Amino acid sequence: MSAWRQAGLSYINYSNIAAKVLRRSLKPEFRSEALKRDESHVRITPWANGRPARKYI
Amino acid sequence: MALAFRNMLRTAARRMQVRGYADAPKGDEMALTFAAGNKVFFNKQVVKQIDVPSFSGSFGILPKHVPTLAVLRPGVVTVVENDGKQTKIFVSSGTITVNDDSSVQVLAEEAHPLESLDRSAAQEALSKAQSELNSAANERAKAEALIAVEVAEEVLKAASA
Repeated sequence: MSAWRQAGLSYINYSNIAAKVLRRSLKPEFRSEALKRDESHVRITPWANGRPARKYI
Repeated sequence: MALAFRNMLRTAARRMQVRGYADAPKGDEMALTFAAGNKVFFNKQVVKQIDVPSFSGSFGILPKHVPTLAVLRPGVVTVVENDGKQTKIFVSSGTITVNDDSSVQVLAEEAHPLESLDRSAAQEALSKAQSELNSAANERAKAEALIAVEVAEEVLKAASA
């Protein structure tokens, strides 16, 4: 079993790290565009009685 | 008489059991779909050969390959097109599927042609990963840094070739 698997990491974690390293290793002209994919944002709005209960978390 | 008949039945049954890994696919064309989060490289294009690095070893795929599923490991995927043109693309990770009808899907999280890789940037990523490995506080951080080192080394190797 590989070391990362033993440490409790999944292949998804592995894949994320690998993709991140690859994006950092690109030529400058492609890098800035690629680095935008590093972050992902999720916005959650809880709803109650048909209207948003809070703005977002 | 009965014995001869039984033998005949047995031979026939044995012959019927013989079967290859894959029931013969139609034609000997291989349609490749190769896509990543950042770009679609091939869309059902018929190609001659594909070489992929995977956790179950690196392997080449020709038409009529045994149906296979594998997990990609960071490295260079080489696609040989029908006119003999070779395309080398570095993949971070992902999956490879070889289907019964000889179609192949390579799905990567991030993939870039070798020309887009930068040697000095890869070197920088490698030293960053190595310093992270040295300062890793726990087992998990250590494993994460180890992955980064492995990938950066692989990128460096591909960029230097």
